[in-house]
Amino acid sequence: MNRSFTKEEVKAAGEGTGRRAFIGLCFLFGFIILFLRFGYLQVLQAETMKLKARQQHEKPITLASNRGAIVDRQGKPLALNLDVSSVYATPSSIDDPAGVAHQLTQVLGVPREPLEKRLRAERDFVWVQRKIEDAQVKRLNDLDLPGIDVVVESRRFYPKGTLLAHVLGFAGIDSQGLEGLENGYDKHLRGQVRQVVLQQDALGRIIIPENRRKPQPLSGHAISLTIDEVIQYMAEEALDQAVQATKARGGAVLVMVPKTGQMLAWALRPTFDPNHIPQASPEQWRNRGVTDPYEPGSTLKVILAAAALETNSITPDTLLYAGDGEVPISGTVIHDHEKAGWLTFREAVQRSSNVAFVKMSWDLGKEQVYQFLRTFGFGEKTGIDLPGESIGILRRPDQWSLRTLPSLAIGQEIAVTPLQLLTAVSAIANEGWLMKPFLVREISDQQGRSVWEHVPHIRRRPISAETAKTVTDLLVNVVERGTGKRAAVPGYRVAGKTGTAQKVDSETGTYSSTKFVGSFVGFVPADDPQLAILVVIDEPQGPAWGGVVAAPVFRKVAEQALRYLSVAPGDESRMVASRSSS
Amino acid sequence: MIDEPWRRRREFDRFDWYFCAIILALSAIGVLTIYSVTAERAGTRFPLYLKQAIWIGVGALAFLAVSRIDYRTLARWSFPLYGFALLLLVVVLFGGKASHGAQRWIALGPLAFQPAEFVKIPLLLVLAVYYSTQNRRGWWHRMIVPALITVPGFFLILKQPDLGSSLSFLSIYVTLLLVVGVKSKAFGVVLLSALMLFPFAWSELWGSLHDYQKERILSFVNPDYDPGGRGYQGMQSRIAVGSGQLIGKGFHSGTQTQFKFLPEGHTDFIFAVLAEEWGFLGGVLFISLFLALLLMGLDIAAKAKDSLGALLAIGLVGMLTFNMAVNVGMTIGLAPIVGIPLPLLSYGGSATIMTMAGLGLLFGVKMARHKLSP
Repeated sequence: MNRSFTKEEVKAAGEGTGRRAFIGLCFLFGFIILFLRFGYLQVLQAETMKLKARQQHEKPITLASNRGAIVDRQGKPLALNLDVSSVYATPSSIDDPAGVAHQLTQVLGVPREPLEKRLRAERDFVWVQRKIEDAQVKRLNDLDLPGIDVVVESRRFYPKGTLLAHVLGFAGIDSQGLEGLENGYDKHLRGQVRQVVLQQDALGRIIIPENRRKPQPLSGHAISLTIDEVIQYMAEEALDQAVQATKARGGAVLVMVPKTGQMLAWALRPTFDPNHIPQASPEQWRNRGVTDPYEPGSTLKVILAAAALETNSITPDTLLYAGDGEVPISGTVIHDHEKAGWLTFREAVQRSSNVAFVKMSWDLGKEQVYQFLRTFGFGEKTGIDLPGESIGILRRPDQWSLRTLPSLAIGQEIAVTPLQLLTAVSAIANEGWLMKPFLVREISDQQGRSVWEHVPHIRRRPISAETAKTVTDLLVNVVERGTGKRAAVPGYRVAGKTGTAQKVDSETGTYSSTKFVGSFVGFVPADDPQLAILVVIDEPQGPAWGGVVAAPVFRKVAEQALRYLSVAPGDESRMVASRSSS
Repeated sequence: MIDEPWRRRREFDRFDWYFCAIILALSAIGVLTIYSVTAERAGTRFPLYLKQAIWIGVGALAFLAVSRIDYRTLARWSFPLYGFALLLLVVVLFGGKASHGAQRWIALGPLAFQPAEFVKIPLLLVLAVYYSTQNRRGWWHRMIVPALITVPGFFLILKQPDLGSSLSFLSIYVTLLLVVGVKSKAFGVVLLSALMLFPFAWSELWGSLHDYQKERILSFVNPDYDPGGRGYQGMQSRIAVGSGQLIGKGFHSGTQTQFKFLPEGHTDFIFAVLAEEWGFLGGVLFISLFLALLLMGLDIAAKAKDSLGALLAIGLVGMLTFNMAVNVGMTIGLAPIVGIPLPLLSYGGSATIMTMAGLGLLFGVKMARHKLSP
């Protein structure tokens, strides 16, 4: 047979077996199932699926704040954050490593072959180049290579290098303050950590909708220091020259405003560059101004003189017998530089007579000497806003030997930090008021609004204004006629005291005859002190006298700083604070 | 002689307008959705949605051309056409262009086409001619001979490998077989022997599948079976659809789509994009439009002038239904992910032109009934 089916035959065949109805039912049934499933997913399961979708494309991230800046009292930046861009690749999404490598080579100038090898790596993340230029970032963005992306990292930068390095300290890779103010004020500088929800794509890349801004990290608080960059520079330069000239092991120049306790400069040697911490050692970044107590030697006589005058056990004109220049104390002898015979207390200070001070300390007695040293702040922290401050070494009188009291009279058997000594001397410059020294003047927020201001803090008053004036006169005499002549600043009355301390030899435990610490501490102008300065030169080669190695540094820093601050000689001098507020 | 259906037929009636309007509407939905997915794709000078619009234009020409030619003339050329198409499949097997681990393309200058798509209509013509030209009584004539005609094409496509296209190809045969009807006894014998042979065929068939195909099937049968994250596509697709909720996230605003969590958003999973951005309402509207088109196809089949026309129409509707149902089904987790494009929507030149030409054939069947019988 060879004929076509008629339409009726097809129909009949279908109807005959009920197939047509069956097919129709299948058709209908299929679509009903489709709709039901569709409805199930989009209506009944909608919330579950929505949640799943959100879990996929929403990415909560922790946005750290940009670390706050550190500026000096004039607003000059000392530590700030720089944005640096780095390029990375996602090798799995690069189809043509050779081509991409070629283009990257042209933009970045990196060698092509090792780069191409990295782009072929079986990894999800490889660095292409860290810290690239802005122009290169722009060219990369224009190229829009697949699998190549740029991240912006924030990096801490210290624009002045070694300047003020010990005070600033440094921060680690993840913006954690590790040393110095970076550590002490870390909470403020670091700022708040913010949680933001961003959109991400399937490769985990952050997608920022065009109509919205990329969430910017907040800024930590900025801190303004009491330090003046210019005076700091003067101090560092003068210290550098002195350390080099005397081939000293190190040294310190601290400058304070005696009336407020504000620090104007803080120079230490040896030093380091906080931008290159891996090349520096803890020995270099120790802030010896507060962490390392040393024996102050004759500079401590300032405090003992004040104590004696305050207790009225002596006057500047009291005659003391310095005899033939030596005094025996329990098995040993304390010498003077030269024989003196009878001299007034004023002359004893002027010449820094050890014998006279030993005898005077016996008159004062253990308890009084100890009490005065304590009220002047020895054996306790000054409270400066730096981490790691030492209290120094000052034993209680019941632990003293017979030699302790006379030793204290000449600045031995006591260890003080440079800052403790400068703070104590500043009290004399400040009519007897002992201040708390500080470095941070103000903390301000991202908009520059002040959120906290450091108010000068009086700790106590060890001596009266009258005593302070008398001690000042004695110290002026030291500079005008005595051991401190080289500290004199033409046109100004300078008050100060030299010190030359033998260092304790760590091997023998006795005083070394070759290792000295030459120092000078003083303030200027004597009638209305604007600056208190401590200079310490550690282990100078050759003559180690404080009046020789340290006093000239004092003079140089004081002279430059007074001119810079426009301090008028004599009584017409102006407050430093008035300058900073202008 | 050959009648010219367009000359003697009356004006376009309402049915014709609806028919063409639905095709255009579906195509437009496709272009918009492709735009939504690929608009941000950088570095493409010729955006995909524009290309798809051009394919639709070419498809429209194919539609007009095919609908103008009397399907009986086409039927006369059916065997040579089928033979030529099979030849192309052989060419693909040996000299085709590979992409994504499958060799499916023949490059033609800057263009490339998929012969697997173009073999479908010749098969439909061949089978329709076969069933309509002789009295095919008995299960041998009804089932086995047409199966033997279908098998070469089926295996050539499966070998590429392209499981989806081969199943879609097979659906033409199955549809016509169901419509023409097989005595239940014969059907039972075939089913029984198929079951008996299954263990032997299975190892051969399963062995010929690629690993990813096996994993897709396994992960469909058991969603927890997910060794290499193959269930990822299905899961992402369901999340995209489900999170679209009732009214959708809006055009160009589907998070799963736009952030590329959903793979193949412009091809196999285009329905997931549609459902995410336009929600349940958009999805239902789309399916309803498609359903309307299919019902119109069935209507054309029922009112066809002769059995050849009826078989052509029903075969085409069957294939479209299969493609659409499996595609939507795999998008919403009702079918394994076998890679069948959604007719008229998914991006792809070959499939779009083939579908349009097929609809042209359908339209030709409709037109033929208006002309006078010879």
